[in-house]
Amino acid sequence: MPSEPLLDSLLLRQDTWRGRNRSLRKHVITTGKEKLDKLLLGGWPVSALTELVTQQNGIGELSLLLPIVKHYTNENKLCVWLDPPYQPYAPSLVNAGIPLDKLLIVRSKSSKEWLWAAEQSIRGKALLFAWANRAQPRYSALRKLQLAATESLAPVFLFSPPTALKAHSPALLRLELESLEPNILSVTLHKLRGKMPGTKTQIALGERTTERTLLDKLPVNIQYPKTPQTDFPLLQKDDVQYLNT
Amino acid sequence: MKEPSVNIPKNNYPIDRNIWLYINLPQLSIEAVTATMTKPLKDGPVAIVSLQDNAQRIDCCNQQASAWGVEQRLSLSTALAICPDLTVLAKNTLQEQQLLQQLALIAYRFSPEVIIDTAGLWLDLSGCAQLFNGYNKLLKKLYTQLSEQSIVAISGVGKSPLAAKILCDNEFRHYLPSKLEVQRTLMTTILDKLPSTAKQQQNFKQLGLTTIGDLLALPRSALSQRFNSDLMNTLQLLQGEKPSLLKRFKPANEFHDKIQNTQGLYNKESLLFPMKTLLQRLCQYLMARQCYSRELIWQFEPLLGRHQSMSITLSGNSHGWSSLLSLSRLKLEHLELPRSIEQISLFCDQFMVMPERSFDLFGDQISLQKNTSELIDSLNARLGIEALSRPTINAEHLPELAGNIASIEKSIGSEQDLGQAQKPLWLLPEPAPVRLHNQQLYWRKPLTIMSGPERLCGNWWQSEQQRDYYLACDSKGARYWLFRESTSKQWFVHGLFS
Repeated sequence: MPSEPLLDSLLLRQDTWRGRNRSLRKHVITTGKEKLDKLLLGGWPVSALTELVTQQNGIGELSLLLPIVKHYTNENKLCVWLDPPYQPYAPSLVNAGIPLDKLLIVRSKSSKEWLWAAEQSIRGKALLFAWANRAQPRYSALRKLQLAATESLAPVFLFSPPTALKAHSPALLRLELESLEPNILSVTLHKLRGKMPGTKTQIALGERTTERTLLDKLPVNIQYPKTPQTDFPLLQKDDVQYLNT
Repeated sequence: MKEPSVNIPKNNYPIDRNIWLYINLPQLSIEAVTATMTKPLKDGPVAIVSLQDNAQRIDCCNQQASAWGVEQRLSLSTALAICPDLTVLAKNTLQEQQLLQQLALIAYRFSPEVIIDTAGLWLDLSGCAQLFNGYNKLLKKLYTQLSEQSIVAISGVGKSPLAAKILCDNEFRHYLPSKLEVQRTLMTTILDKLPSTAKQQQNFKQLGLTTIGDLLALPRSALSQRFNSDLMNTLQLLQGEKPSLLKRFKPANEFHDKIQNTQGLYNKESLLFPMKTLLQRLCQYLMARQCYSRELIWQFEPLLGRHQSMSITLSGNSHGWSSLLSLSRLKLEHLELPRSIEQISLFCDQFMVMPERSFDLFGDQISLQKNTSELIDSLNARLGIEALSRPTINAEHLPELAGNIASIEKSIGSEQDLGQAQKPLWLLPEPAPVRLHNQQLYWRKPLTIMSGPERLCGNWWQSEQQRDYYLACDSKGARYWLFRESTSKQWFVHGLFS
């Protein structure tokens, strides 16, 4: 008969399957968007590594996560941003209701330091956003982070470049984010237990407030480039929910 | 040692402040030397010798040797003449110290106050009863754990460390004597046992004092006139009027232990036995410190030539010694070892605090709110203060001054009205110029203006700036924060909406 602590530690893991799928989707935090919650079977997984593959910076990957940052920081928990690509702009963070003293920006000098700081933050029960700017971390390194996240019940978000999709990832959840037209974020699910890979959904980020009359006077081109061909229809405006950014 | 057949008195100790247990280890020298041997000694008289008064003399001997008449301070030649079968071993003070440290770790699980003596341990048992369901159960458990290490121990209980040592019996008692009994025994103990000089002992005799009770019956003022302050000090320590200033045992900051084998070990299978012993010691250490190890480093040293080492990284979960041994064994299989191993050492200096676990009402484990400063401290210690920063907000007009990055030591500005206009989440370190070609804006990609402008002017007291901010996007849907400077008509990209 297995000993009690062993059983406890097994049940604590995200990837232990229990009858009726009890443990798998229990520890989730809502994304704040009904459609995304539905896609992710409840919300962002807690105590797991989530990998967000973005085609490029600035398409709305961060505003997608602002609700969870707000949730965590208002619970007096620290949110660590490891090697962000640009400088976070404080006024917009304050607008989103995030207390600034709960944010910590960490800059690492080497991949080794990056991994150490990431693991340390996870074990310190902070909400970690990590950007792999140097080189995509190795599978074993990511596995280490995934294990640490499982033990410390902290959600971890890793932002990867599109090249990362070629390699395997130990992350529990893997999403690809791209934007086909401004303010609409297209989310492709690449990995989540219990869900077919390749499932897609679209989320709107803010309204299109174009004051064309004024812009017409500008000495620059304001014609939006042609929308690339998509293999699925774009959603009607009524279907999408809006973020306040 | 047999269990006492007398009926065990009910524990009539109320929650008392002073209960000291002294564990004397009469055969510590023998146990220390034999513990590191791979082959157990055959049953028979054993003695430890050391250099005393320019001659090899018996330092310690076992019961069988005592039965032959071997005793302490007997010279080696005499001892061998009395008992020709005597196994003689050299004293090893270092190993004795190590063994005492290990035993202190065991004792540390029973009491938070452990003091190491030259050949024994003191434990402050006061207040430890509840955890073990009574003092008698505690003593029984302690005795079992010492026996598992094949340690011969005898014990004494008193209200001060000194009293406990003086009252040390010649067996290990499995029950706690009553307060009255302890006091009575102390009073009737002969004065020879009290630590004092030969001159003082002489004086006691002249005064007609034979027991400690006789001495304590005399008024203190009279005693202090007749004897020096040392004796008064001893008496105060004996009565527990003065706290003992002996150094309290604390587990070391890192674990380092080794086992030597002079005959040499030739195959990997035979390495496992000493490795198991070392891992058991490590687990005791980890339990005393309430932490998990992150990395184990094994070192195998041959008599000649270079040592071979291997390290095992652990995920930081709880591991028993058996799982650690199987991990080490797996790693050992791939290791090329020298022909014969003389010394095996185990080193561990990376630890992780055992996570505290709590459950909510419905039995779900919830994470504890941990103090975030601990994390900042550890990041700070490893990466340096310059690696850490946080966004700050200032009452300024220009975006690059309003939202800034500052060292974590600085305080954050107060909140203010920030307006309703859309603000980006990312700000470029400094505005990057945008190329304008054939009425098309280019920054990495062609950009299109989507909305705007928002006029921003200010900073006239330093350098007049007038900027029109626009929201732009590229063909991939990324949104940028552009501005056009009114005076120079130059376009800049200042941030990214993300």
